[in-house]
Amino acid sequence: MSTELKSYPETSPTKALKIAELRSVSKTFHLGKGRELKVLDQIDLAVHEGELFALLGQSGSGKSTLLRCLTGLTEPSSGQVLCYDKPLVGVNPYASIVFQTFALYPWLTVEQNVEVGLIAKRNLTRAQKSEAVEKAIDLIGLNNYHSAFPREISGGMRQRVGIARALVSEPKILCLDEAFSALDVLTAEGLRGEVVGLWRGASNTLSSIFMVTHNIEEAVEMATRICILFPHPGRLGLILENNLPYPRNSNHPEFQRLMKVIHETITQQALPDLPPEPPPAPGKPVSRARTRMESIPTVGVNQILGLISILHDSPDLDNIYDVSDEIGRDFGETIAIVKAGEILEFVNTPKDEVKLTDLGKRFFESDRQTRKTIFAEQVQKLRLFHIILGYLEVQEEVSGETVMHDIAAALPYENPEKILKTMIAWGRYAGLMDFNANTGMVVIPEDEEEEEEA
Amino acid sequence: MKFTATQLSAPDGRRSLGWIDIVALAAILGLLWTILKSSEGMVVHFDASQPLPISTDLVNIPYYAARTLIRMWIAFGFSLLFTFSVGYAAAKNPIARSIILPFMDVMQSIPVLSFLTVFMAFFVSLFPGNLLGPEFASIITVFTGQVWNMAFGFYHSMVTIPQDLHEAATNYRLSSWQRFTKLEVPASMHSLIWNSMMSFGAGWFAVSASEAIAVMGKNVQLPGLGSFMFAAVNQGDGWAAFWAVVTMLFVIIATDQLVWRPLLAWADKFKMELTESAHPPTSWFYNLIRRTYLFQWVTESVLIPLADRYQDIQRRLIAKRTEDLERPHRSTGYFWRVVGILLLVGLVLEVLIGARAGFDAVYHRISFDEIVHIFGLGFVTLGRVLAVTILSTLIWTPIGVWIGSNPRAARVAQPLVQIFASFPVNMTFALVVPLFVIYQIDMNWGCILLIALGAQWYILFNVIAGAMAIPNDLKEAAKNYGLKGWPLWKTLILPAIFPFWITGACTAAGGAWNATILAEVATWGDKTIRATGLGAYIADVSAQPEGTGTAALICGTGVMALFVVVINNLVWRRLYRYAEKRFHLD
Repeated sequence: MSTELKSYPETSPTKALKIAELRSVSKTFHLGKGRELKVLDQIDLAVHEGELFALLGQSGSGKSTLLRCLTGLTEPSSGQVLCYDKPLVGVNPYASIVFQTFALYPWLTVEQNVEVGLIAKRNLTRAQKSEAVEKAIDLIGLNNYHSAFPREISGGMRQRVGIARALVSEPKILCLDEAFSALDVLTAEGLRGEVVGLWRGASNTLSSIFMVTHNIEEAVEMATRICILFPHPGRLGLILENNLPYPRNSNHPEFQRLMKVIHETITQQALPDLPPEPPPAPGKPVSRARTRMESIPTVGVNQILGLISILHDSPDLDNIYDVSDEIGRDFGETIAIVKAGEILEFVNTPKDEVKLTDLGKRFFESDRQTRKTIFAEQVQKLRLFHIILGYLEVQEEVSGETVMHDIAAALPYENPEKILKTMIAWGRYAGLMDFNANTGMVVIPEDEEEEEEA
Repeated sequence: MKFTATQLSAPDGRRSLGWIDIVALAAILGLLWTILKSSEGMVVHFDASQPLPISTDLVNIPYYAARTLIRMWIAFGFSLLFTFSVGYAAAKNPIARSIILPFMDVMQSIPVLSFLTVFMAFFVSLFPGNLLGPEFASIITVFTGQVWNMAFGFYHSMVTIPQDLHEAATNYRLSSWQRFTKLEVPASMHSLIWNSMMSFGAGWFAVSASEAIAVMGKNVQLPGLGSFMFAAVNQGDGWAAFWAVVTMLFVIIATDQLVWRPLLAWADKFKMELTESAHPPTSWFYNLIRRTYLFQWVTESVLIPLADRYQDIQRRLIAKRTEDLERPHRSTGYFWRVVGILLLVGLVLEVLIGARAGFDAVYHRISFDEIVHIFGLGFVTLGRVLAVTILSTLIWTPIGVWIGSNPRAARVAQPLVQIFASFPVNMTFALVVPLFVIYQIDMNWGCILLIALGAQWYILFNVIAGAMAIPNDLKEAAKNYGLKGWPLWKTLILPAIFPFWITGACTAAGGAWNATILAEVATWGDKTIRATGLGAYIADVSAQPEGTGTAALICGTGVMALFVVVINNLVWRRLYRYAEKRFHLD
């Protein structure tokens, strides 16, 4: 690796040239049957020369879509994509993508896969091409693997092939789409360091990196600028500058501060401390449901039960970061599980604390039948579930399609299919509903009465 | 510097020519000579009133076999062309897709032999007095017999290419042609070769049937193994018939060993999975070819320099044009759109005119009673097809499961069964029909056996595959809980093989409908025995002169196609969807 270092801008990056830019970009997907899902909403964002930009977001926040808009793989529904201040037509010629799934062609050897990056360059001779391939292979440490097929090598080596293929065409900007998340922890750590080294090294034309990730530490460790993408629909949140010198030490106070700021921002967004609900207006029938139509996180019942169990067994676990460490999930997933516990009123989350409520305690200490009853009561308080329960009051069964249609109308930025799946899982545990996969109907469970008598 | 781990390098990477190369060269030259020599016979004078004499002299068998093979390969070439162009259009263009898919679905349901009569009439009038007419009719019939399966398979693998591989191609700005050759064809290669092998197997039936046929009152015979068989059967010459069967078997096995097995072994690397196959297919012939230096030499000293030269010219042309080559060319889109629309309009007109002509031909000549009669015959034949499917299932399921549970037996049995399935069923009739004649067996029942001779193998083949696919842990769990006998079959084996059985039974039923046209009327020497049924009806009216014959043929074929399409949609497809949902093992 070259020791000579590129100077990246210490000052505000706005003075550097903008390699790629999004101007009020929105993207809506058509899910079929007239349903639409807005995944990006009015995004303004620019990647400048010399920076390592990390876009941080939970799964489903639209960050991969944003990357595809930026590189010209998909066209935005509205807004403009610019490349060096000119409107982008087709695929961005300065950008190369490294994919989460590697996206290697299994029938090509390592060498041939890397050469794919040069196919479009028809002004190179065979000799020039093989020289460039050789250089890329050398740069990323793939010597001795030339004639191996992707299926013969490990995940880490496959991603190296992906990076070599991206670098061989000498891009200005390298786009990493969750490039390290399919790798094991150690391999990912090593490769992250190498990618930063490649970007800082002067031995290639690479100027910027645009990376998309859900891993907060990865972003803080690598990026010079971090941007948080809030989900449903994806919109930009906090933007942070990170001028820590490389290699970065995770014990550095600034590193710790950045981590904390990001964690707090995400927690505040996902688990806001809301004022209590207003009492129902006089004269109206008292509904047990909340007035606000709230979405539910798509987590399974067992994960909620597990969270309650952990909180109950270790009372000193009181903030969300410790919980995240304890259950070994990444932060976004932990937030989702905690949020599910919160809307069911089993946990309470003042600021970044996570506490079991009295109801949560009572739930944990109950037997199976009582748990079911408590869970059913809590689920019935959720407005979302009234969509299904309302149908089931007047008819035996309701088709999943109808329910999804209603969900889409009520929560336009959520994926109705996933929400319905989660609702059925919760409803099944609560004994409120069942789903017949053959007919696609949500039904009243048959054995409900029997079990209640037992 | 290049290092290659020894286990990754190509076996025996020799750098000089050896005796194997001489053999390979001789084989190539010999093959070319045979093709040239045998195809000379394709362009000879032909007069429908005086059919070509087909000799039953055993000396002629190799020549006839070569003629049959050439027909098969020409048809296969057309099938490949069609597969790539139409499959590609269907995968890429939604408008084309909405026309092509239903069209192919109906076409694959129409029994191939009913096309034969139409093609024969058309091509004989196109090349009057020349054998090229019947040759083309035969080739196009084989083409219709094999192409749909291949095109569907190609279309399916085109649309199931993972999104990220497409995105990588877009990101690296591959042109449409580069995307086709680097991504789309390789990604479909495995299924393409597998489907080609299956379709080629189905083609033997069409080719042998098309070589000797009575069309519109005339006998048309083409030199080939099928007509040799036909002649032998007409003369009641058992010895010649026996040798025809042996030669056919030999040709099928040779094609399998020299073409399909090597291709399958080669195509293993095109599988999508990123894991290595536990039992990669092997082929002795493929290993032999890999040892020859000849092909490598041709690649290195002829093909690569040529490609380089071509690229060089291209590069200079690009350099002359100063415009940015990154810019996508939008103008070509309009050109192809116009071509597409013109093609579409032409097709619609053609179909309308054809439908009108067909309707006219039928309207004046076929009475309502006749159509009711045809439907009645259809139900009789349907009964036979059902009987064949059910009987074959009852007999072959236990045997197939037993074979599939013994890996060693399966490795021997599977290719064998596949060869039996490829064997043209009409050529096996000669081995059974004499017995029917001697023992005076009622053809109405006997022809069920004739049909089953071909159809049963599809069921066996798929049941074996299903039994082999049962995961070992499920078998071990069943053993652990002491499941035996009927409970074991009910809880594990039957559900696990069900999706496979449906594929097999559906193919078997399709083959059975096809076979009825030949099986419901059988000849041995001067004796003709017949059954009542739609197949016999179609066979009879094919031989009638133009006019009434054509009208009746259109009706008969239409009714048969209707039966097949309706049953496919009402029974097989529903069962398949159900099985996919309920019994899919992952």
